[in-house]
Amino acid sequence: MQNVIAFIEHKHGAIRRSSLEAATQARTLADQLGGKAHAVVVGDGAQQAAQTLKRYPLDQIHLSDEDRFVDGAVDAVEAVAKATGSALVLVGNTMIGRDVGSRFAARVDCGINADVVDFKTEGGEVSCVMPKLGGLVITTCKLTGSPFGVAAIRPNVFAAKETSGAGEIVQIPSSGKASTVTVEDEVEEAAAELGVEEASVVVSGGRGMGGPEPFTTILKDLADAFGGAVGASRAAVDAGWVSHGHQVGQTGKTISPQLYLAIGISGAIQHKVGMRTSETIVAINKDGNVPIAEFADLLVVGDAFAIVPELTKLVRDAKAVHA
Amino acid sequence: MRPEVSVLKILVTVKLVPDTNADKRIDPTTKRLVRTGVETVLNPFDEYAIEAALQLKETLNDGSTVTIVSMTPVSGKEVVRKALAMGADDAVMISDDALGGSDLWGTAVALAAGIKAQSPDLVITGTQSTDAISGDLPGMLAEKLGYPGLTYARKIDVADGRVRVQRETETGYMTISAALPAVVSVTKSANEPRYPSLKGIMGAKKKEIKQLAAADLGLTVAVGTDGAKAQLTDLATPPVRAKGQVVQAPDPAEGAKIIVQFLKDRKFL
Ligand SMILES: Cc1cc2nc3c(=O)[nH]c(=O)nc-3n(C[C@H](O)[C@H](O)[C@H](O)COP(=O)(O)OP(=O)(O)OC[C@H]3O[C@@H](n4cnc5c(N)ncnc54)[C@H](O)[C@@H]3O)c2cc1C
Ligand SMILES: Nc1ncnc2c1ncn2[C@@H]1O[C@H](COP(=O)(O)O)[C@@H](O)[C@H]1O
Repeated sequence: MQNVIAFIEHKHGAIRRSSLEAATQARTLADQLGGKAHAVVVGDGAQQAAQTLKRYPLDQIHLSDEDRFVDGAVDAVEAVAKATGSALVLVGNTMIGRDVGSRFAARVDCGINADVVDFKTEGGEVSCVMPKLGGLVITTCKLTGSPFGVAAIRPNVFAAKETSGAGEIVQIPSSGKASTVTVEDEVEEAAAELGVEEASVVVSGGRGMGGPEPFTTILKDLADAFGGAVGASRAAVDAGWVSHGHQVGQTGKTISPQLYLAIGISGAIQHKVGMRTSETIVAINKDGNVPIAEFADLLVVGDAFAIVPELTKLVRDAKAVHA
Repeated sequence: MRPEVSVLKILVTVKLVPDTNADKRIDPTTKRLVRTGVETVLNPFDEYAIEAALQLKETLNDGSTVTIVSMTPVSGKEVVRKALAMGADDAVMISDDALGGSDLWGTAVALAAGIKAQSPDLVITGTQSTDAISGDLPGMLAEKLGYPGLTYARKIDVADGRVRVQRETETGYMTISAALPAVVSVTKSANEPRYPSLKGIMGAKKKEIKQLAAADLGLTVAVGTDGAKAQLTDLATPPVRAKGQVVQAPDPAEGAKIIVQFLKDRKFL
């Protein structure tokens, strides 16, 4: 594999952070492979997104205005990949990223690696490093047997760094194809907020929160103080206190924030597998004999309802000193 | 496209995975998963797919059927039977040593061939598996089958030869639809999977589980370990997270201070 193509996910031109990480990583890998770094951006707002991408170290930014749901993106990535002859496609390991990456891989018959946290390049070959079985094992898989390959990168693991590249904007010719999927409407249920996968600080609440309120008050305040996101255990989600998108764990999201705060969460194995790769784990629990004591860097034993508001105050104060 | 689909043939793909409740272990010398004491179970995500299919069948109430499809060693038969006990009509197992070691691509190729042979109207999958955690197979199946792919559905309706789903997004949902046959992946918020009833468990013993071998799939490419396009080259055990400090904080203000000092030491603040 020689070239690297970052698929760019955006909403009306506002690019997702994981895609900026992909764009930055595309350059690093392209340099190692001796090829070019490309970006593909599709749909409503693609023009605006392309302008943002000019601040990233890309050789070419390929643009398509076609808005066919998923198909348009897969067709565009396919067209660019085939034009380069040989390429690794980077997508974010997000809902849309997975859809585009998986469809492309099946279409061109190439390998695909999911939830990639590191790369190794050697002699023009690309290997991906991925935690599997909930981080129990770290696997390395080589992409082989095709001039193409796909890597879905875990958000928040690779850096997004602005450094201008050549940034040549290239228009992808329209495919003239019809949509196979019709989008009838789109409904926003929650204010667009930072997702737990992408936040560098996640403040999660569990059954110990006792009800829905803390998720919009004390936990939210603490998360806001860090500029982070609110997460939850399955117990809290199943109780209906917070929506499923916030769930961390085996049947929720697998995340790697820099700081994970587990508040009123016991740390069951199914929760642990979703957050064990966090850089630092801090827990507050009124019980010192909980599973999370075995893997948190710090467990403070006390009442979360009393500690969290105090903590938020102190964090705000500390941040204000630096500001 | 089928102009008039009346009775639906619904296929549900299920994966068998190591039990999710056990803290799985890798043998440091063989570097393989220690399977002793670790049961094989239905991928928990696939229970939502089965439930969604059963609910659809019950709503249509027109003789539509639900068939389970799994690519898994023959030894997985009893687990597949659990899906039948939930209420599916029959099952197809794709089992062959030649398929062992398949990567995602190989799995998609083989599974799609097995699915196509059943001529389904609707293929329902889970969103991901708890062992691979890739979430890529639904999209790959859609592409390989040449069907529209509607992923992350939390609600499914079928009418007039079209399937309409509520697809979850990060901030809400979108309503999308496509002509049958189609592939739909179902999320955890779609439903509450039923437990097999005693009658279901008894009945499942008599239901047909058809076996397909690699040769029955008419594959023109090599899959399995040799054909894999993502080849496992290394398996390592991550460093164990050391037990950290446990500090009692009867005084909440003191507890907050301890955390802040810790975060300052680690340069978070
Ligand atoms: C197939 C399967 C998949 C699963 N997937 C997931 C998943 O994705 N994510 C997940 O999280 N779980 C998952 N689970 C569930 C998991 O096993 C646990 O049941 C769940 O994580 C428990 O959530 P919890 O820690 O919030 O609740 P509990 O275990 O009940 O812990 C609550 C904690 O709060 C503490 N507490 C109570 N009051 C206070 C207070 N005032 N101040 C401080 N602490 C307090 C208690 O001491 C206790 O430790 C799954 C289970 C299965 C079987
Ligand atoms: N070997 C398999 N046999 C049948 N279905 C599978 C298999 N592997 C994955 N699937 C289906 O694909 C979905 C996504 O799995 P994955 O891409 O492995 O995370 C699962 O929820 C299953 O419905």
